Amino acid sequence: MTRSRLTLLLLIPTLALLVAFLLLPYVNMVVMSFRTPSTSAVFAPGFTTANYLNALLDPDFYYLEILWDTMVLGFWTTLICLTLGFPLAYHLARTQSRIKTLLYFFILSPLLVGVVIRCYGWMIILGPHNGLINNTLKQLNLIENSLPLMFNTFGVSVGLIHVFLPFMILPLLGSIQAVDPALEEASQSLGASRLKTMFKVIVPLSLPGIQAGSILVFVLTISSFVIPILLGSYKVMIMPTLVVQQIMDAMLWPFGAALAFILSIAGGLVIYVYLKLTARLVPGVQ
Amino acid sequence: MALTTSRSQFVGRIFFLGFIVLVYIFLLTPLVVVVIASFDSAEILSFPIEGFSLRWYRKFLSTEGVWLDSIILSLKIALLATIISTALGTAVSLYVVRFAGKWRESLRIFIILPLLLPEILTAIALLIFYYNIEGFFNALSVPLLSGVFRHSFFGLLIGHVLITLPFVFLGISGSLYNFDMSLEEASRNLGGGRFITFWRITLPIVKPGIIAGALLALIISYDLFAISYLLKPIGTATLPIQLFDYVRWEFDPTAAAVSTVSIIFTLVVLFITERLVGLRALRF
Repeated sequence: MTRSRLTLLLLIPTLALLVAFLLLPYVNMVVMSFRTPSTSAVFAPGFTTANYLNALLDPDFYYLEILWDTMVLGFWTTLICLTLGFPLAYHLARTQSRIKTLLYFFILSPLLVGVVIRCYGWMIILGPHNGLINNTLKQLNLIENSLPLMFNTFGVSVGLIHVFLPFMILPLLGSIQAVDPALEEASQSLGASRLKTMFKVIVPLSLPGIQAGSILVFVLTISSFVIPILLGSYKVMIMPTLVVQQIMDAMLWPFGAALAFILSIAGGLVIYVYLKLTARLVPGVQ
Repeated sequence: MALTTSRSQFVGRIFFLGFIVLVYIFLLTPLVVVVIASFDSAEILSFPIEGFSLRWYRKFLSTEGVWLDSIILSLKIALLATIISTALGTAVSLYVVRFAGKWRESLRIFIILPLLLPEILTAIALLIFYYNIEGFFNALSVPLLSGVFRHSFFGLLIGHVLITLPFVFLGISGSLYNFDMSLEEASRNLGGGRFITFWRITLPIVKPGIIAGALLALIISYDLFAISYLLKPIGTATLPIQLFDYVRWEFDPTAAAVSTVSIIFTLVVLFITERLVGLRALRF
């Protein structure tokens, strides 16, 4: 055996795993989305484009509306995560504080505690009957009836923002740290205010982090599944919950697969437009 | 003038720090609430808690073993997935960084692809695929794969390895890129064989990357939801799924006790990571 053959042994197990259990399943799912649906089995012989057409041309726009709701939810979640995450990342990138590691730990630990547990925490806080907020407000006689904080879009959004915020902060942190603090000092000593320095110097230079974090949060939101179920309880229907319903409960695999690809393509288009727009906003950044 | 500027700067600074503190509170509150709730003595979870009690911990340890079973299943899968993905990840990182040549970038993306693709889509693709390959072999009248992948421990484990592998790969390849190749050359010049050089020089230097990647893989697999939800063996549940089913229908604080144990597990792993290699070695 030659040396190069020997080194191939390092690669082959992983490559085989990825081809057999990632590439093939995805190709298989594309094929499945063109299968003829059947009522007696998960699919019938033959191929059709009906699954896509049924979803896109539904006379009530049922599926397109859910797709639109999904994208809108993704947009708002991303925007709010960016608004909350940027100051936090900036502070952590620049702070000299002794508790810097502790702060980093505060960002990491929610990220690494399971999503179900974090949603459960919000269920305890937002719950309609014995929830922390509603109970407190009632005891203070500020409200008589529970506020609808959960099982609606509000509850789902709170959960999404909470769970995905660290995914925004970490890429931002990386790119803000890469911006030389001397540039900020230069900007300020030339008369720009702190706020102006922030928007004219730091934000443009950390654009790669903003893009990476936004895409991450957007993709995670439009493919989220646990959070909408636990905090929305099927009253907030978005594409992933619909797709899983179609596949697990209704056993409509071809249709479910088609819906999944419609979601993926729509998500891909949004990301493409976003990258084009942000690149144009800031000249010189690819 | 100077005074007003500094005062407005001071006010701005206070606002900025206040905002930061609020976001940190937002991040941590749900976890703190779960931990406090786990000590509630009331039958139905409510806030503020009625009194201190450990009864829900006792209940979780005694409930006909469902919780313990799911914790054991979760730990078993997490450990196996970590071992497999660390072995595969170490090997493939070496290949990609050292020998891949013009294929390096494509391979890199291919290996982290499970991270880039939505987990729920990968789960669905695997579910359908497991059914289809079994059906395919059955149609050929070679029931070779009956029950091997479909809703089996093995099938679930493959799903977990797919998701954890990129984390290990990122950790290890990161420390390999920073590797000073002259150290290996020196070892070889001094008569160290290829194996000795790897064992005594290369491995110790990339060890932090391996440890960080493996610990991250452990936590990620332990918390994995969508893959487990769709692929788990019928009649079993990993801990996140058991929790998911419980908190939707039951309102006593048992789930909080179990969650607290999980949170502590995560914190311990993070603490070990910080001690061994530093939190910064974790790569996402």
